[in-house]
Amino acid sequence: MKKVTVKDQSVTEKALRHARAVGVSMKESVYPLTATVYYPRERKKMPANLRGYLLFEPEKCISCWQCAFICPANAIRMKEAPNKRYYPTVDYGKCIFCHFCIDSCSGGALYSTKIHDVAYRDMDEMLTLTEEMIEQPEVLREDKKSVEYIIDKDDLHLKRRREQDTLFVEPTPPVEIPMVSQCVDRASCIGCRVCEEVCEHDAISSKQEGNILRMRIDTEKCTGCGLCVKECTMQILRLVRK
Amino acid sequence: MMQEMISGMINTLMGTIMSNQIHVPVLEPLIKLLAQLPVGGFMVSLLFWKAFFAALICPGFATVGILLLFFPWIERKLCGRIQWRVGPNEIVWWLGGIIQLLADTIRFMFQEVIVHRDAHRPYYLQFPFLTFIPTLLPLLFIPAGSIVAIRTPYAIQIILALVCLFPLFILGLGWASNSRFAFIGTVREAFMYFAYEIAFIVAILAMIILYGTSDLVAINNTGTWGILLNPVAAFVFFVGAAMATSRLPFEIAEADQELAAGPHVEYSGIGFGLIYVLCYEKAYVLAGLMTVLFLGGGSGPALPGLGELSGLIWFLVKTLIVMTTLFVLRVIYPRYRLDQALSIGWSSLLSLALVAVVISLGVFMIGGGAI
Repeated sequence: MKKVTVKDQSVTEKALRHARAVGVSMKESVYPLTATVYYPRERKKMPANLRGYLLFEPEKCISCWQCAFICPANAIRMKEAPNKRYYPTVDYGKCIFCHFCIDSCSGGALYSTKIHDVAYRDMDEMLTLTEEMIEQPEVLREDKKSVEYIIDKDDLHLKRRREQDTLFVEPTPPVEIPMVSQCVDRASCIGCRVCEEVCEHDAISSKQEGNILRMRIDTEKCTGCGLCVKECTMQILRLVRK
Repeated sequence: MMQEMISGMINTLMGTIMSNQIHVPVLEPLIKLLAQLPVGGFMVSLLFWKAFFAALICPGFATVGILLLFFPWIERKLCGRIQWRVGPNEIVWWLGGIIQLLADTIRFMFQEVIVHRDAHRPYYLQFPFLTFIPTLLPLLFIPAGSIVAIRTPYAIQIILALVCLFPLFILGLGWASNSRFAFIGTVREAFMYFAYEIAFIVAILAMIILYGTSDLVAINNTGTWGILLNPVAAFVFFVGAAMATSRLPFEIAEADQELAAGPHVEYSGIGFGLIYVLCYEKAYVLAGLMTVLFLGGGSGPALPGLGELSGLIWFLVKTLIVMTTLFVLRVIYPRYRLDQALSIGWSSLLSLALVAVVISLGVFMIGGGAI
């Protein structure tokens, strides 16, 4: 067992240490390095894509359900819209703000805002419907200043600006990795033609040759959205890099 | 016959009052104006009667009240600054939360006073109020400049006797609470009492030897800074005061982390409010005593036009500085263990106090008598 012992110090050394402690406290009482942000009256300036409240653009959504699949907290549910398509709804009672949904969204329909103080009156309100995610939400703002943390060599200080920070940022288009749908096991295809029906870009076509139905994926037209991959009944379609 | 007696008494009273007035040149015209009113003159002369002024206004009751209302705020703000925090802020935030303690007081007033079943009910309810006797009475003997309520050659002894009574009342509180935490806190308080008391008294003894008198007004009138003549005694007195107020680094009896609040863990409502401000009162009394003994009391460059109030202002400023230093200790040092505090009290502090007596005797010999 290692025994912790106090280093022997001479009286002068001790006195010096006490004096230094008092000196530090005197210095801090005159010029403190307080890093407190007076939150409702001023807001800390956040980076643009720091995980916040989600917004949604239905035009870019292809209803691929990737967001709902990947959500680790099961916060996203797909709901049928009047145009027979499925759009995400977010339950903020469950959401852990991991933003996997944004990362997984192939069309870039989901994007983040800088709103990090989401508050609700009851549990039912927390379920945010698709139509509520399209419009920018109304935010009650008491802040007059924005505060920025600036880290010097070893210290940290605050820079206050007499301007409100904007809470909404333009969504950055997702970095597209060209993907294409590919059938990995042609022998297992049952010819249900679900993939052909679901494809939005007419990339999948079928041709009847006697008793045999030949499916074909046009790699030029395929955008790699993954809808067919999701819908395939035999699960023999895969997304691969172009 | 009766009438003569009454008028004679009134005349004697008026004579006593008028012979012991505070002279403030700036306020002379106002006093003359008020004197023309029917009872105004009497009221004003009563107000400016030294004994009345000292007991009820400054350094007595009113000053204590204002100090209790604002000093915790000053302390919390300053400690917050040093620790990179903000301190109380939200109540009247544009004034930095200055009425925080007023708001707390209102809350304490309206909170239910719970007397739990095991408590010794009469003592439990009486002790928070009784504790104010030894904390308020010393103020009658502490001079602010030349203003003092009671001038006696035994002022220091009386103040010491009352100051040494504080812990007994705290012990009473803890005993009446009849709970485990309160019991442990009470025992620790008793230990701490023995740790600082003797060194503290010996340090004051050194100053009495130095000054050759225990009349605080006479000590104040010498205008010497005792801390320059006997810094060791000042140090011992200061550490003793820090132990007596039982704040960090000697917050051993209260020890929030282990004992919740020590002797007063069971108190709620106004009872807790009274105990909460108790240590600030103690600190005020001890800082006042330290100001007079070591920092020259009300001596300082005379402020123009204020007459005798000048000494009072110097006294208050010095007292506030001593109090602030006493309370800022809590952000500089962590809490000592009970055994460490006891060993400090019984070894280093006591021996330093004896050294202080020797220094005082040396100054006494060299200077050829008391100052």
